[in-house]
Amino acid sequence: MRLNLPFLAPNRKNARRYQREPVPFQMLLPLALKKTVSGKGDITKEAVCMQEMAVLFACFKKSEFDQTQCLKEVTSFQNCYKEYSQRAKVQREMGKKGILVPGENKMTHKQLNQLLKGFPAL
Amino acid sequence: MRNSLYVFHKLCVNITPGRWPSLLLQNRLYAKYFPDFFQNPIFRKEDQAKLIENNELSKYTTVPVLPPSASETSMHFDPLVNKVINHIMKDGNKKLARSLLEKAFENVKRKQIERYHLAKTPEQKAKIELDPKNILHKAVENSKPMLQLLPIKRGGITYQVPGPITEHRSLFLAIKWLLEATTEKERTVHFPEQFAWEIMDAANNTGKVVKRKQDLHRLCEANRAYAHYRWQ
Repeated sequence: MRLNLPFLAPNRKNARRYQREPVPFQMLLPLALKKTVSGKGDITKEAVCMQEMAVLFACFKKSEFDQTQCLKEVTSFQNCYKEYSQRAKVQREMGKKGILVPGENKMTHKQLNQLLKGFPAL
Repeated sequence: MRNSLYVFHKLCVNITPGRWPSLLLQNRLYAKYFPDFFQNPIFRKEDQAKLIENNELSKYTTVPVLPPSASETSMHFDPLVNKVINHIMKDGNKKLARSLLEKAFENVKRKQIERYHLAKTPEQKAKIELDPKNILHKAVENSKPMLQLLPIKRGGITYQVPGPITEHRSLFLAIKWLLEATTEKERTVHFPEQFAWEIMDAANNTGKVVKRKQDLHRLCEANRAYAHYRWQ
């Protein structure tokens, strides 16, 4: 037998009720930007040495993929990548510590936080 | 070996009845014979000259240095040859790997001397490289790829995207390809014989390995339209 007693019914207060318009606004967080940024969007996307690679491909096609005929293009491509990896290494190391690199536009979240600490949002 | 000397007895001393906390509090279970801050020695004259040139010598004056290993300080030690031996090695049998490479070097030397004596004019003789180590260096240099294909997923489709390759990976691929080309042989042909042929071919910019490198470059060229999908 199933009991359907009124005192066992769900409490009126606990049952989920629909919201009546206008829904009252509740301020759960202060209405201001945070003083810091999170590190979620830190994956940098960059395709490097595209120009050098295009030149290399053109030379390869001309010389039937014989590397000895494209020494100039090969060295310029490799130097480009070497330079990039060195630059990226410095940026990574500085970014880990949060040290600001002068003249660098792309910053890690730690560097940005360092900058925001110096110049906080009003 | 020198870095993995356990001081297990240190622990054993600490395990005495009623002294459990001292064991549990120890955050390191073993100590190294040489701590991490000991630097590898720089004993090659070229490396030292590079340090002096870059004004980095003063950095190393106060740093404690590990003792050099006996094999690395030998006059005949070649880092590339050592690397190739380590790639040939199976199950840690370095002795066999070294003997195989030495036998291959002997085969190269014999073949090159034969060519040297068959050559008629002094100009032709001067062109023939007799040092097998130099031939190996040249072979690896010629087998190194300059580009690589990376699988990158965009919109549910995996694109093979060409891009530059690091020096380290390119060296690894060159040695791997040389060894893979060597193992593709008849059962009656032995490793040293086939390896000698492979490195002589690669040093001459011909053969299976150089073709494999060029094929990779061709594939990269064919997929160059996807190059802008690359990200680092």
